[in-house]
Amino acid sequence: MNLKNCHNFSDFRKLAKKKLPSPIFHYIDGAADDEITYARNTSAFDDVDLVPNVLRGVENVDLSTTIFGKKLDLPFYLAPTALQRLFHYEGERAVGKAAQKFNTMFGVSALATVSVEEISSMIDTPKMFQFYFHKDRGLNDSCLERAKAANFDVMALTVDTITGGNRERDLRTGFTSPPKLTLASLYSFATKPMWGINYLTKGKFELPHLQDFVKEGTDVNSSIGNYFSTMLDQSMNWKDAENLCSKWGGHFALKGIMSVEDAKRAVDIGCTGIMVSNHGGRQLDGSRAPFDQLAEIVDAVGDKLDVICEGGIHRGTHMLKALSIGAKACSGGRLYLYALAAGGQAGVERAIEKYKAELVRDMKLMGCTKISDLNRDNLRFRR
Amino acid sequence: MSLKNCHNFEDFRKLAKKKLPSPIFHYIDGGSDDESTLRRNTDSFNECDLVPNILASVGKPDLSTTLFGRKIDMPIFLSPAAMQRLYHPDGDRASARAAEKFNTFYSMSSMGNNTIEEVSNISSGPKLFQLYVHKDRSISDDLIERSRRSGFDAMCLTVDTLVAGNREKDHRTGFTTPPKLTLQSLMSFAMRPGWVFNYLTGKRFELSNVKKKTDKGTNIAKSVIEYINEQYDPAMGWKDAEYCAKKWNGPFALKGVMSVEDAKKAIDIGCTAIMISNHGGRQLDGSRSPFDQVKAISDAVGDKLEIILDGGVRRGTHVLKAIAAGAKACSFGKMFLFSLAAGGQKGVEHLLQNMHDEIKRNMVLMGCKNLKELNNSKLIYRK
Repeated sequence: MNLKNCHNFSDFRKLAKKKLPSPIFHYIDGAADDEITYARNTSAFDDVDLVPNVLRGVENVDLSTTIFGKKLDLPFYLAPTALQRLFHYEGERAVGKAAQKFNTMFGVSALATVSVEEISSMIDTPKMFQFYFHKDRGLNDSCLERAKAANFDVMALTVDTITGGNRERDLRTGFTSPPKLTLASLYSFATKPMWGINYLTKGKFELPHLQDFVKEGTDVNSSIGNYFSTMLDQSMNWKDAENLCSKWGGHFALKGIMSVEDAKRAVDIGCTGIMVSNHGGRQLDGSRAPFDQLAEIVDAVGDKLDVICEGGIHRGTHMLKALSIGAKACSGGRLYLYALAAGGQAGVERAIEKYKAELVRDMKLMGCTKISDLNRDNLRFRR
Repeated sequence: MSLKNCHNFEDFRKLAKKKLPSPIFHYIDGGSDDESTLRRNTDSFNECDLVPNILASVGKPDLSTTLFGRKIDMPIFLSPAAMQRLYHPDGDRASARAAEKFNTFYSMSSMGNNTIEEVSNISSGPKLFQLYVHKDRSISDDLIERSRRSGFDAMCLTVDTLVAGNREKDHRTGFTTPPKLTLQSLMSFAMRPGWVFNYLTGKRFELSNVKKKTDKGTNIAKSVIEYINEQYDPAMGWKDAEYCAKKWNGPFALKGVMSVEDAKKAIDIGCTAIMISNHGGRQLDGSRSPFDQVKAISDAVGDKLEIILDGGVRRGTHVLKAIAAGAKACSFGKMFLFSLAAGGQKGVEHLLQNMHDEIKRNMVLMGCKNLKELNNSKLIYRK
């Protein structure tokens, strides 16, 4: 199996599984507890059907959308994800360049392995910086200032990781960052020699946004759950979010909103967008799926800020359904991470190309030529 | 595989399976008929979703509640379960000590292998006695009196076991108490010499609390089904339950209430609590699951009775959902019996610690400071 046989999400996933040492694959692939919410994030889309219109003249399809004041050529973007150089030695460099090629937004994690400065000098498409609220205020200020100086367009504060989720696959595989060799994982690393060679020879693994402030995740082996639970400030509240928002002074989003009540408060504190998200099912298992919750939130605040549907998206039609309900755009992490592991920049580009082709084809089949043609009349809920 | 690799229900179950002779493992593991109710008990939690609130500055959530007039440190406890010495040589002593350590209820079955007095001596933690109405009423009277003298806090009367359920796994494995060696089961016992050694060298197996009154289940090999059908009075009615409640004259629950109508009657006869339960899917297959029924019962009688959800609970999020739907606390049998078989007192403590950590983590992720904040508004049922 190679990249040219990858036609969909599950193909990229399979190839990633072949290429990655198992603790690293399962870090991407796993979710919290019984992974019920993770499964629901995708299966939620199957409870609603698309109703096409015919004979509409659909020769040219325009997939562009505007979020956070920026025009994107695609109605989806690459959500911020941590530790990308673990998945492919090019890491964020590959993902950023792929985003640039398709003129969509690139989300950069606070736990990125390439610095905001380097990314900014490399690409000029819209960029989002994902922010964690650390106990160390000096670290928080530094992240904010560096992202601002590097001309990032959007700041997204993650609010659903107030404590680490129970990712049982990581408990079993012993996943840490940087990867630690244990007897149990040795075999898995040894049978994927290319990953090992690239990891060891293509530059030191580091977390450039954190390394001046903390040892966790850079020198010491630390699990991500442990990082959330010990480094982040669990007392974070609405006042803190409001202060950050005004300090940033630009487009600001809360990532991980699930209730209507919280969505309204996000408007009040000056957010210009929210990601309806449960962190890809990796935090609270048994919590509601973004797509299940989308309509309520769009009805409440859709005219006041950009609502983004994040999580569970595997297909162009999933995006059409979310956009029909009123999401301004979609985003995902696993959406491109398997592809990154499978083939670096070429892999991510192929994944984006596939989703784009699906969107164009499905828009035509729906009888729509632009994103604003999509609305709830296109949808029927089964129950 | 060892105790420290046990992260969830399935892990404990696997380890128990390794340690127990198969007739005994299947006696715990099995339900009645096709086990569809057994499965539904857990599956029913997956048809509704939790909706978290963010930025709630939870800090350390308070998991404590009061039940049967006693403060307990978390809203879960050990259901009464018969014959615990079959699962581990320490039997009820192990589970009682583990529960005491976490300051929550241990429950003693009428069919326990340790005496009421013995357990009372080793644990000052909260204790619930489970009563069956025997054909010979003096047996029940004696149990009530001894529980009172020994300082038990509460009593529950099991009302869903008028006749024994059709536990087909027991037919196949030839499960009896005390265990009878058949050609078929010989192999399975022989493969677990540790279990056999402990069983033969430990205290003589007996139904300690009823041994003076009946030799059934003690001297001759009897299947539990035969025992139930011989000893328990299928003519038990509301009058008998009322008699027990009055005679006990303290916190009193009916265990096995499933209908709103019966829940209302329970108030009339002087109950202070009910346990919504179908006996872990071991009695009437095809009957409703506790979680499917808890909201209706709570809406009807939640202000007059303490409602305990018993059955299907495997995760911290299941507990959160039950409480959001109106339960005061949850109890479980199978899960703790597997942990008992897996590691005795240490095993049960490991399980209680896991559940404690899950409940606490998920309260933080839900943005709830205490159990009162976990109300109906946090739960959305999928249509």
